[in-house]
Amino acid sequence: MRISKGEIFERVFVNEEVNLQIDQEAGSHVKIHVINASFSITVNQLGEGCITEIYGLENLHGDESVTAETHVTHAVGGGTSNQLVKFVLADNSRGSFIGDLKIAPDAQQTEAHQTNRNLLLSDTAEMRTRPQLEIYADDVKATHGASTGQLDESALFYMQQRGIDKQKARQLLVNAFMKEVVETISDEKIKSDVLLLFEEEAF
Amino acid sequence: MSKLLEIKDLHASIGGKEILKGVNLVINEGEVHAIMGPNGAGKSTLSAVLTGNPAYEVTSGEVYLKGQDLLSMPAEVRARAGVFLSFQYPVEIPGVSMTNFMRAAINAKRDYEGKEPISPKEFLSLMREKKKLLELPDKLNNRSVNEGFSGGEKKKNEIFQMAMLEPCLAILDETDSGLDIDALRIVAEGVNKLKTPQNASIVITHYQRLLDYIVPDFVHVLADGKIVKTGDKSLALELEEHGYENI
Repeated sequence: MRISKGEIFERVFVNEEVNLQIDQEAGSHVKIHVINASFSITVNQLGEGCITEIYGLENLHGDESVTAETHVTHAVGGGTSNQLVKFVLADNSRGSFIGDLKIAPDAQQTEAHQTNRNLLLSDTAEMRTRPQLEIYADDVKATHGASTGQLDESALFYMQQRGIDKQKARQLLVNAFMKEVVETISDEKIKSDVLLLFEEEAF
Repeated sequence: MSKLLEIKDLHASIGGKEILKGVNLVINEGEVHAIMGPNGAGKSTLSAVLTGNPAYEVTSGEVYLKGQDLLSMPAEVRARAGVFLSFQYPVEIPGVSMTNFMRAAINAKRDYEGKEPISPKEFLSLMREKKKLLELPDKLNNRSVNEGFSGGEKKKNEIFQMAMLEPCLAILDETDSGLDIDALRIVAEGVNKLKTPQNASIVITHYQRLLDYIVPDFVHVLADGKIVKTGDKSLALELEEHGYENI
């Protein structure tokens, strides 16, 4: 699909697999959230001054397996992109993140960020992450980070020392981890629906 | 005066290394006990063991809180039963607001006591009242637990939580470390205001300084995993002057 000049395209997908190929014209804005589903999103910034935001949040249980894939290309300069993908993996769940970010030689003054953070809640859950950056322009601002960790034991004990049981403490920490993504949803109604969805899930 | 805490021949280790080597201590309601001692004597281990920190292993001994076997309780149950630790290094919990954290803690305690959850109105007015006691800012409610707090704010926040939860036994682990003199005064005044004839505190400290503000009934010297000397507040002054070498 093509997002024409100056247009804003904003979608939140919940429990729905997403396959999108998007070409952005100058000054257009793409903002996509995918919650609890696999996705593959390819975005090409073909005009100047585009904004691309891709957010993924995957809260996995049991034998669930989810792949999150992003391909963002800055073909011309002056654009910004932000990718933030978080996984919470319980039980035997499997997650995978493949994130490509390409900044073409002519795409000067691009600002691009890619972040993948994952929280493993069990010893048998598994996360694979493969960020890939190709930056051919020199006057750009680009950051990326990928990390996979477990719940902070000292934070869990701190909460237990205040009388909060381990289950509730875990829930507070997991919600805090996920909140960063949920907070970026513009629509307040959808935001609170998503928060509610997670509050009902047990960790 | 009834017995609040009784520690009998307590031995504990971490990573296979024995740190506490037979601690005996009785604390009655209304008392303030200071525990002093050199680095590595086991002061922080004692507070960790009493609060159920899973990193430490109790190898032998008994501890009773109001006659109940404390060591058999999970950490959160000890807290609900009224054991509170003011952490030496309070933990930062990004993304969890003070409001959500405190409400969960208060309601856990109320549930343990067979009470209904606190009403939002009552909770907010309690927060307001206790913040004033520690001279903490209003904006505290929405901040993440300890995140970005200065050293002094973190310690004030510990005593604030103590004020909210009204424990019967408060353990203050090096609460004076990292505090300037004004923060020290506010923290100490907070602790003193929370003192009742029914509760007690254990003040763990390196320095006599804090004990000018929180006056102990007893001072114990913990060295090499045992209490080697007990006295009144003058013992703290003596230690300040002569060090631990002669003990």
